[in-house]
Amino acid sequence: MMQRATVRVVRDARRVPWLDPMVLPAAGALAVVVGYPVVYTLLLSLQDYDLLGTVPERFIGAANYRKLLDDPTFWQALGNTAIYTFGSVAVAALLGLALALLTESVGGHRGRLARTLLLTPWAVPFVVVAFLFRYMYLQNGGAINAALLATGVIDAPISWLNVSSLALTAVMITNIWTMTPFFFLLLAAALAGIPNEVIESARVDRARGWSLVVQIKLPFLRNALLVSSLLMIIANFNDFAKIWAMTQGGPGYATTTLVIYVYRQAFENFAIGYASAIGVVWLLLLLAFAIAYLRALRTS
Amino acid sequence: MFHSRMSDRAMLVVSAVALALGVSVSSMATAETVTITFANWAAAEGTTKPAIDKVIADFEAAHPDIRIKSEAISFSEIARQLALRVRAGNPPDVAQLAGNDTFLIAATGKLEPLGGYLDVALKAELKPDATSGLSYQGKLIALPWTLAPAGLWYDKAILQKAGLDPEKPPRTVDELMTAMAAIRKSQPDVIALAVDTTNRPFSLQSNWPWMATFGADPLGATGRADSPQMKRYLAWMRELAQNRYIDPGRKIGEFRPLAAQDKVAFVWDQVLLQGVIQSASRMTDDDFYKRWGVTVQPAGPGGKSYSFEGGHQLVMFADSKQKKAAWMFMQYLAASPSAIRDYTLGPGASLPPLVRMPSPELAKKLDTPIYQAFTSRIIPTVTTPPYGPAFAAASSAIMAGVQQAVTGTESIDQIAGSMQQQLERR
Repeated sequence: MMQRATVRVVRDARRVPWLDPMVLPAAGALAVVVGYPVVYTLLLSLQDYDLLGTVPERFIGAANYRKLLDDPTFWQALGNTAIYTFGSVAVAALLGLALALLTESVGGHRGRLARTLLLTPWAVPFVVVAFLFRYMYLQNGGAINAALLATGVIDAPISWLNVSSLALTAVMITNIWTMTPFFFLLLAAALAGIPNEVIESARVDRARGWSLVVQIKLPFLRNALLVSSLLMIIANFNDFAKIWAMTQGGPGYATTTLVIYVYRQAFENFAIGYASAIGVVWLLLLLAFAIAYLRALRTS
Repeated sequence: MFHSRMSDRAMLVVSAVALALGVSVSSMATAETVTITFANWAAAEGTTKPAIDKVIADFEAAHPDIRIKSEAISFSEIARQLALRVRAGNPPDVAQLAGNDTFLIAATGKLEPLGGYLDVALKAELKPDATSGLSYQGKLIALPWTLAPAGLWYDKAILQKAGLDPEKPPRTVDELMTAMAAIRKSQPDVIALAVDTTNRPFSLQSNWPWMATFGADPLGATGRADSPQMKRYLAWMRELAQNRYIDPGRKIGEFRPLAAQDKVAFVWDQVLLQGVIQSASRMTDDDFYKRWGVTVQPAGPGGKSYSFEGGHQLVMFADSKQKKAAWMFMQYLAASPSAIRDYTLGPGASLPPLVRMPSPELAKKLDTPIYQAFTSRIIPTVTTPPYGPAFAAASSAIMAGVQQAVTGTESIDQIAGSMQQQLERR
């Protein structure tokens, strides 16, 4: 009898309640802050909704989504978003990794100074960075053209942000400059966390230089690299300030990403319904990355 | 003890009566004072804030029964915020607007038509050109506050250095091209022509006269973005970029400091350029007039010159509960001598919308070669684009096409065709 009662108590303790009252306040706040806008956006995406009220709003089903499929600017924006996000994150992660490995053995004052300097770009507000690079890229009076002309690399100034084939790369370089310190910081911390015994035993086995990095250190950095990359992919997917301040999505649509396109549709064309449809697609893509991120976090 | 309690009670009664009287007197005073909310960007910008604050203070001193609550909203944000506030049922009483934004907000149907407020006296005071482009669906929806058309500014020193006659600015696009070639050859570091080629509704407004002088009308009832005239305009823009006469991607405001340093030969800009150059270079008025001139846009193949009106307007919202006071304030801003002196001709750096100045002092202030050129020659060339929600929606597609023509390698035919397709999809 006594044993049966004990079993029941243990089973009760293990049972996870379907809804814990303790999470209700947080769930309520999330429902208001996240749930309501998401549901409302979904509803708006099914309507012909003009913010100026020139036409009465009406339910149009999936018409906005069908329009998306036929909209070449949307597809260009989606492509630009992918190039901007994955390109920037990949290059910044590699640079951050390289810097973390290079500064790993630099100790004392020099090491601290090097790390501080390397982290500085992360501390500069993004909008300031965007304007800084915008002025550096200028065709007339820009520092980059001046340096390249002085060194004889180019013989005529280039309008970096205004040539369709160069603009996205130029904006990505700015983005990489700001993001690299983030990867450097995380990877340097992960490197410092590799147990000394592992490194020592690898050295005993005559692992040196490149083989030590590839065979020993990189596997230890895998999780940090994965988590930080996913985090940055999500952040870059939403990046508005840098692109808007530098090119406003131009020239043409060369640097128009999804977030810029949503902004133009919502607040220049006042087409809230169509902008919401783009927003829903954007949200679904972000959700996929967020799920991947959570899984990676759990695994790590 | 009893006496003391009585006196306490009496005190209480007296206090209550005094309080009640005080409240009623103060509520009477409140009832007599009207508060007008005024959404504007003049109070959001450092150069104009002191001036608009002073004008408001002067108005309040002259009208003790009206208080103005100034709401500072940046120029680039004001249309969006007002559209949202109209939707939320919370618009201001009066707002400052300009260009297409005036017509965007008019499209909400929530602007008070002003035809009934404009009496004969004020109508006679206003320049006919000033109100001609401010009607929406046949109703006057805005009162002109300032006039700021664009003209072709030219740096006489740069022209002279290029072997050109500094007193004879180009009259046609062909002459302009010849002049820019000479400038580029003699002074490679100088930007030959400053035009705004960013992708925003203001850029389309600013480029509209250039399209017009080529005969292009991409948004007109019969006009198309892939018309031969539009292609000619796009090809000309490409030629400007390929010859490095323009510096693409800069906002017009970013050329102004360069103009002050003699780094720009021709600037397609409004009246305010004089103030910017003088404040940056500390040039006296006389030196400025010796150095700079302004003229009408060089005529293109159509043979006509055009300009755009970049001035500011005042609108009243239909939901305003204080329309009479709001109208008094609007009139004061547009036509009172102190507002013209302290704001319009001050940091506002634009022209008053009046036929005659209300005082000899102000008339003297306007007696300069620059103001005269704007008043007598440039204002008559102003053309109003087909403003409204369609203009805003199309501006992104058209300016993206202009940017592609300026910086891309696609053929002009392809670009024009793509622009037209985008316009048709909207």
